[in-house]
Amino acid sequence: MIDSEYDLILMSLVIFLPALFALPLCVRWIFPRGSEEWMRWWALLATTVTFVVSLFMFISYYYMPKQQAAGELPGHSRSGLLNARGDHLLADELSVQPRKGNNWVARVAWIPKFNIDYYVGVDGISMPLILLTTVLSFLALLASWNIEKYVRGYLILFLLLETGMIGTFLALDFFLFYIFWEVMLLPMYFLIGVWGGPRREYAAIKFFLYTLLGSVFILIAMLAFYFTDIHSFVPPAVAQSAAEQLKKSGATQTEKETQQKIDDRFRNSFDLVMLQRAGRAAAEFLSASPETQEKMKAGNPAYAQDFFKPAFQIAMFLLLFIGFAIKVPVFPFHTWLPDAHVEAPTPISMILAGVLLKLGGYGIIRIAYPICPWAAETLAWWVALFGVINIVYGAFAAMAQKDFKKLVAYSSISHMGYVILGIAVWSVGPKSQYWSWGMNGAMFQMIAHGITSAGMFFLVGVIYDRAHHRNLDNFRGLYEPMPLYGGISAIIFFAALGLPGMCGFVGEFMVVLATWQYNPVFSILAALTVVLTAAYILWTLQRVYLGVNPAYKDFVDITPRELLCIVPLVVLSVLLGVMPNLLLSWMEPSVTGLVNTLARLPGW
Amino acid sequence: MEHLQHHPGLLYVVATLLPLASFLILLLAGGLRAAVRPCRESNGTCGAIYGMLGGDTPRKTGAYIATVAIGLAFVCCLIGFIWHAKDTHHAHDAHAPAASAQGGHGVNKALHTEEHRWAGRMTWAAIGWTESDLQKPGSKLEIGYKIDNLSSIMFLMVTFIATLIHLFSIGYMADELQPITEDHHVHTEDGHLHRRGRFGRFFMYLSLFCFSMLNLILADNLFQVFVSWELVGICSYLLIGFYYERQSASNAANKAFITNRVGDAGFIIGLLIVWTYIGSLNFDDVFRQVRAPKDSHGRPVPLTGQVVRGEPKLTDEKMPGLEVTPGGYDVLLFRKAPPPGSHYHPPEIEEVLPVDASPEWYEKNPEEHQYSTMPYWLLVVAGLGIFLGCVGKSAQFPLQVWLPDAMEGPTPVSALIHAATMVAAGVYLVGRIYPLLTWDSRLVIAYTGAITLFVAATVAIVMTDIKKVLAYSTVSQLGYMMLALGVGGWAAGLFHLLTHAFFKALLFLGSGSVIYGCHHEQEMPKMGGLFKKMPITAITMLIGVLTIAGTPLFSGWYSKDAVIAHTFGFAYVHPRHGILFLLPLITAGITTFYMFRMWFLTFTGKPRDHHVHEHAHESPRLMTIPLILLAICSVGVAWGWPVWDAEASALEAHVHHAQHHAVVADFGAMLNDTALPAGKNEDTERYWSQKLHGSAGMLALLAAGLGFVFAFLTYKSNVLDPADAKAQFPAVHRFLHHKWYFDEAYSVLLVRPALAVAGWCSAFDARVIDGFVNRFASFSVWIANGYGKFDNGIVDGLVNVIGNTTYRTGTWLRHVQTGYLRSYVLFLVLALIGLYVLLSYFVSLASLG
Repeated sequence: MIDSEYDLILMSLVIFLPALFALPLCVRWIFPRGSEEWMRWWALLATTVTFVVSLFMFISYYYMPKQQAAGELPGHSRSGLLNARGDHLLADELSVQPRKGNNWVARVAWIPKFNIDYYVGVDGISMPLILLTTVLSFLALLASWNIEKYVRGYLILFLLLETGMIGTFLALDFFLFYIFWEVMLLPMYFLIGVWGGPRREYAAIKFFLYTLLGSVFILIAMLAFYFTDIHSFVPPAVAQSAAEQLKKSGATQTEKETQQKIDDRFRNSFDLVMLQRAGRAAAEFLSASPETQEKMKAGNPAYAQDFFKPAFQIAMFLLLFIGFAIKVPVFPFHTWLPDAHVEAPTPISMILAGVLLKLGGYGIIRIAYPICPWAAETLAWWVALFGVINIVYGAFAAMAQKDFKKLVAYSSISHMGYVILGIAVWSVGPKSQYWSWGMNGAMFQMIAHGITSAGMFFLVGVIYDRAHHRNLDNFRGLYEPMPLYGGISAIIFFAALGLPGMCGFVGEFMVVLATWQYNPVFSILAALTVVLTAAYILWTLQRVYLGVNPAYKDFVDITPRELLCIVPLVVLSVLLGVMPNLLLSWMEPSVTGLVNTLARLPGW
Repeated sequence: MEHLQHHPGLLYVVATLLPLASFLILLLAGGLRAAVRPCRESNGTCGAIYGMLGGDTPRKTGAYIATVAIGLAFVCCLIGFIWHAKDTHHAHDAHAPAASAQGGHGVNKALHTEEHRWAGRMTWAAIGWTESDLQKPGSKLEIGYKIDNLSSIMFLMVTFIATLIHLFSIGYMADELQPITEDHHVHTEDGHLHRRGRFGRFFMYLSLFCFSMLNLILADNLFQVFVSWELVGICSYLLIGFYYERQSASNAANKAFITNRVGDAGFIIGLLIVWTYIGSLNFDDVFRQVRAPKDSHGRPVPLTGQVVRGEPKLTDEKMPGLEVTPGGYDVLLFRKAPPPGSHYHPPEIEEVLPVDASPEWYEKNPEEHQYSTMPYWLLVVAGLGIFLGCVGKSAQFPLQVWLPDAMEGPTPVSALIHAATMVAAGVYLVGRIYPLLTWDSRLVIAYTGAITLFVAATVAIVMTDIKKVLAYSTVSQLGYMMLALGVGGWAAGLFHLLTHAFFKALLFLGSGSVIYGCHHEQEMPKMGGLFKKMPITAITMLIGVLTIAGTPLFSGWYSKDAVIAHTFGFAYVHPRHGILFLLPLITAGITTFYMFRMWFLTFTGKPRDHHVHEHAHESPRLMTIPLILLAICSVGVAWGWPVWDAEASALEAHVHHAQHHAVVADFGAMLNDTALPAGKNEDTERYWSQKLHGSAGMLALLAAGLGFVFAFLTYKSNVLDPADAKAQFPAVHRFLHHKWYFDEAYSVLLVRPALAVAGWCSAFDARVIDGFVNRFASFSVWIANGYGKFDNGIVDGLVNVIGNTTYRTGTWLRHVQTGYLRSYVLFLVLALIGLYVLLSYFVSLASLG
């Protein structure tokens, strides 16, 4: 059992460990009032264990291709492809003699009546984000040590939040995804609303309203997909093994009855892999000539459904895109972010910028694009446009800020614009090579931004703890009393500025490399923004660290605990900047595979 | 060791990495020292570590580590230089007969193995699953190294000067060795600022700079150059802002980096075009595709080395094709190199070539016949984009504004970074990407250089800060180099880069010695009569001044003459562009004038400020020895045999060997160069620049002589009074004193509008978007309150659905927050009700249907 379901167990552990660890915290006789320090250690243990388990998961995933070379799984080069593995798993499950391999997709029936599964899986797109989540959760918990208010509640919500985030990255069933998505929303709301700054109530309700709006959009799209009959797009191998199984078990007598059963099994589905298949079929159908479309319709009545109409595809894409764009956030849905950041406590800001924003990008890559590829291609120009607006607008707005945290928040908006732009530069045929650079750049940028923005928010928190304000005009001269803090800040800020040799540069550079062939104007605007970025970051460094300020000359330098929080981020930002292959080598096959499936290359 | 003998190019990699190692050691040591500082009072490990790292007094160890690292790098470069010279010598000697016998294959092979010995690359990031994916254009970013005559001599120059400047700095930065040092430029409430010394940090930055600069020269591709480009930029930022307590220093640092980033944005755009159309950033790959190859026997043909242009036309097989015509709209790109032994014939005029043909066509035809195209104007834009990066880095018009301000940094930094090496990187890069530049791009470069050299020289006349004079002089000299490259004097421009590096480093270190001796006084009106106080500095600086003035037999003479000769030749062939010759000629006179003005004002005459003069002293030997060494180099580095022949410089000949054949193709052959069919020589720029070398030299000498005479009359014998000139032309003086009002113009045209836009964006967020959101929110809260009396039972039931934990938190939070919380929870619950209702509705529909 353990052997064959190793992947399922490990993935479920990563998801639910934080929540499980949160349970004893709820029980008053285990952690009585006054044992706050123990609670913190317990929660730290929880995040540590989760991180270690996710590391195990990563190592096993990393060495998966070796198993495949031994012939256990199909297609060596396709190892990164979730689709292929998903199909394989399905066929395997349904075959007469199931042989479960540890191929990092796993499914357990959850609500069979509605075809809802507990379906989780990992590929090169979700794995780095999961690692980012577990690392940042650990560091953010370290940064939470000086939270004194309602420690128990804080920790419980924090751990619940981690479960929600990891679950969202792992879910391959839309329903499951949605549940985790909502599970994440609640703790975040309270964490901002209770532990936040003076205007926390406003910020929390703003965050909540915005996100709720997005969730409703996603929900509508999800239900619309569910009520589309997609059974005719089940891969033949899967259908065949299902039929064999049914016949063998004697559940059905006639051929027709068998077919009926199988069709029912796949008629309505939340299965993301299956929905992506239908989405690609829709793209193929919609890009065909009217005559071919007629022929296809005659061959398969499924094509007559709403799902295969342009308006429907576009509407669904917009719903999904806006739903996820709010999380990214994309202009003009971004104003929750500066407020939420300014009010949120430091560790929550780290999580918010480091992980939550990535969920938006992840949703677009995992759900919006593959399920509605035709609409995505049709609207690619607009998506790219919003990416560029984000980049430029965020940079300008950052320049005008007086609040340190707000400035970092706006820089996040600017940097996440590169993610959108990288995803959007849709190109087909031989040029899909360049799109691959864009998509990989977007993924890389998400990780890099997770590292640098979490670092920047943490550094702002460090100085807030000492100065008790965040007004950029009132700092000055912090380098002299706090040289170590100043040096580390410089490194992290330079990484955010996109200095080569640091992680921020790699993603941005890959994205602009991909953009010229799509639209030169966009890429010129993105390239010119490096001037603005340099301006606002250097100006900030000047206003905060340089100069002389006798009032702050007795500040203590960064403490060992704080050092422990920030050093991993510094190391990561340099390491990934110097050797992007550390990440790219195992992330790229999945991302390129996704691009190839969408770019309508021959053979896909 | 054996590996090193097979790949001697790795010596240069080692030389590059040595300063990096020193940087890392200093960084870790400095970080550790800062980390244990809070507990320095304790007697435990912390205190011990702190004491070991120098305690409160900065240690000299860091400086020694950095100096030894760069010194060793110099040794590596010296060995590499000798080996490389031997190798190229062999290749030319041994294979010349073989080449004629085997029709060129021998040379190809020899060159190939030679390249293998001196070059290497590896993948940095790649996209693609299979080997064949990775062969496609645009599939991988590589890093690598390649050593040729140009990079080997650049390495030698940079490491040599850097080593001397490290030594000089140990003396110059001695103030930073005190536990508490005083900064006279910063005033606080209790007098001058007192701060901790930061000796080690200075050398840490220097090491990082040396690594970045060497990496820039090492690179065999544009990507790596760009990476180093930004890194030297950040080092420059850190070092200009070394005295960051001074507002002026941090402003200058910001200005330097941001101005450079404007250039870098252009650089990125150039990279994007090259990447998109050519699919590689490797220099050799790019040039091979842009420039027509020799035929497969290694023989040059009429179009060899040129950018082949043409007009779209259908081929005989009705395939899309390109007719080769001079001045056509498109540029032909040569996808694959012709393999030796194949029967490849490069395209000819009026030939129609298939481009971007169908896959079937490719199957029938060998790879070397695969062509593609790109618009010519985009190639121009790509070249100019990269050139914009060079404009920023080399402080050319219109981005020259940052360099004079950069003098806020310590003087050794000005000598190393802002005179000898980093600012010359722009010129170096223009030289490197030369085959990528077309005729139109080069004309822009030439004019940029010409304008820069004139503007900067005029401003230098009125500057009173000794370092500012030198800064403007640097800008002006960089303009000369750019101009030379623009008019086809490839070797001349880079030659001037090398000689300038020595004499300008000398001048800056000399000024550093003056400033050190005068206790950080930089204003020339307060100096005067320092010759007797500091004779070594004065004499070495005089040598520098003579060199930059172009005095015969000093190194500057050879290089400047070569530059002016090339502009003369160019102007002779293209009389329309005569100004490209006149400006540098006039400026040669101005240069001599302001340089002698500086020397006379500083070292001769009566002391104008007795306080400064009384305390002035000669610098310690650690500082004068680098001066003397640099003075020797300034005189003799360009010598060849015969010494008196301006064209016989050995250094120029060395650089000349690295020249890409595109230079010859575009500007005609040298007289002794038989690369091109004879007969074409008569009307080329090359031909006339050689022909007119002598007269150009005489004219330049005349201009310089005039400049000297004026300087002598005004500042030495006081026949002319500078105050008179100032009074006669107040407007001119004001104009020059304000540096042509560039700073003011940029402030009005760029900085303030950018800040205004930033303000608008921020206000748009606050007023428009948030205005809408807030109104929407209050509306929702109003509705929610209406439902506030809703049955609590439903609430409880649903909270159970969410899970016990949240419920607990929620009810418990109710005690925490009175008022609004209730409605928030209600929201949450309503959302979930919505989900539930929708779901059950659809499900019921589904089960019915």
